[in-house]
Amino acid sequence: MTDRDVDERLLRLNAALDGELDAMGSLEFEREMRDDPALAAEYRRLTTLRNAVRRHAPREAAPQALADRIAALTASAPAAPPPQAAAAPTATVVPFRRRAWLDSRALAMAASFAILGFAVGAGLTSLRAPASSGDVAQHLVSDFARAEIAGQPFDVASSDRHTVKPWLANRTTVSGTIVDLAPEGFPLVGGRVTIVDRVPTPTLVYRHNEHVVAVTELPVDTKGARGTCGIETIDGYHVARWSDANLAYVAVSDMDEKALGEFVEAFRRGGGPATEPAKP
Amino acid sequence: MSSPIAEQRFREIVPPLLDDAYSLAKWLCQNQTDAEDIVQDAALRALQALSTVSVDRPKPWFLAIVRNVAMTFMARNRRKTVAYVGDMADLDTLDLPEGADAAPNPEQELIALQDGERLRQAIAGLPSPFLETLVMRDINGLSYREIAEATETPVGTVMSRLARARAMLAKTLRSGP
Repeated sequence: MTDRDVDERLLRLNAALDGELDAMGSLEFEREMRDDPALAAEYRRLTTLRNAVRRHAPREAAPQALADRIAALTASAPAAPPPQAAAAPTATVVPFRRRAWLDSRALAMAASFAILGFAVGAGLTSLRAPASSGDVAQHLVSDFARAEIAGQPFDVASSDRHTVKPWLANRTTVSGTIVDLAPEGFPLVGGRVTIVDRVPTPTLVYRHNEHVVAVTELPVDTKGARGTCGIETIDGYHVARWSDANLAYVAVSDMDEKALGEFVEAFRRGGGPATEPAKP
Repeated sequence: MSSPIAEQRFREIVPPLLDDAYSLAKWLCQNQTDAEDIVQDAALRALQALSTVSVDRPKPWFLAIVRNVAMTFMARNRRKTVAYVGDMADLDTLDLPEGADAAPNPEQELIALQDGERLRQAIAGLPSPFLETLVMRDINGLSYREIAEATETPVGTVMSRLARARAMLAKTLRSGP
């Protein structure tokens, strides 16, 4: 055989291994291997090599921090329109492996909030007055009421905490873990920045059927953040307060007391080690 | 600044490809931190580009950007590994290594293949055109045509580089520690 024949033979061997021969080519190749034990042996060795490469040099997952930074590149926009209305039909959409935020129900829900909220949300942040001295819970209730009238706008509308978290982390000084409560019936729908005592503070918004709960994370020494163990009613809304070692939480909702209690329990369970009830 | 359309396309295309992008970058530059910078830079360029193009085949398109960024990065930062770049033309015309179809010591090769660390070092030691072809095929799962697209080389060259890469690996592993 000439060098060229050897080249061709080796190229075809590799192409066969990689599934790059068409149907007729594969058929011919299989016949050749039946007739030529040396070829068959070479093919087996090449297969072993290829499998070893795949086993010992698998695709590596990108570090989460990198994924977060890249998610943050486009997280300032409001929710994308629902997948049915995707504006780029020629782009081949590769199914997501890791991100849950294309779940169409959550996305449609966020979209319906955001379509109303986008025009308003950008302006609304600047309209929210900083808290004057006084009960932070009262301030957050007023905030919630205002937001309800405006259709619950978000600054970042996403049901994926990996999108919401870096967005909030870049804009607020407090940043606890964002709990995924979708399995318990409280999917995350977005986040916004609330000003409390002149400090930008993260508020997470979860949905429960047609109701909404806004959880604001505060430094644990914020005045008025440590409240009673139970659920209070302020201006007709239900409010729960609790804290752990580092953070205090105030949840405001239009859900009934029982549902809010379930939410708080689920949040505290999912958010880390069990904490003591807040002391008055 | 990027447009909403670009951001929408970006969100559909890039996040699912991050593992592939990171793996490619890391094999090319052999360093975790550099790989992260390369992928992030590539993502930014992709975002900018998406304002004006829509992409039919996102995977080779984005990995091409990652590859270009990696090569620029290495040319700028790693003088000593540039040795092969100048010889790249020669690599494609060299005869295939003899012994490609006759293994004097198949047992040794088989044993060596169990040793993951040794195999990874052998892969890392491949000349960069062979390394990138092997990674794109066996780690990123690109087809020959997609590799050709991502590396802007003819399919024949891709096939030749891949065959050589594997033959070279086998030879390195056969030759003992």
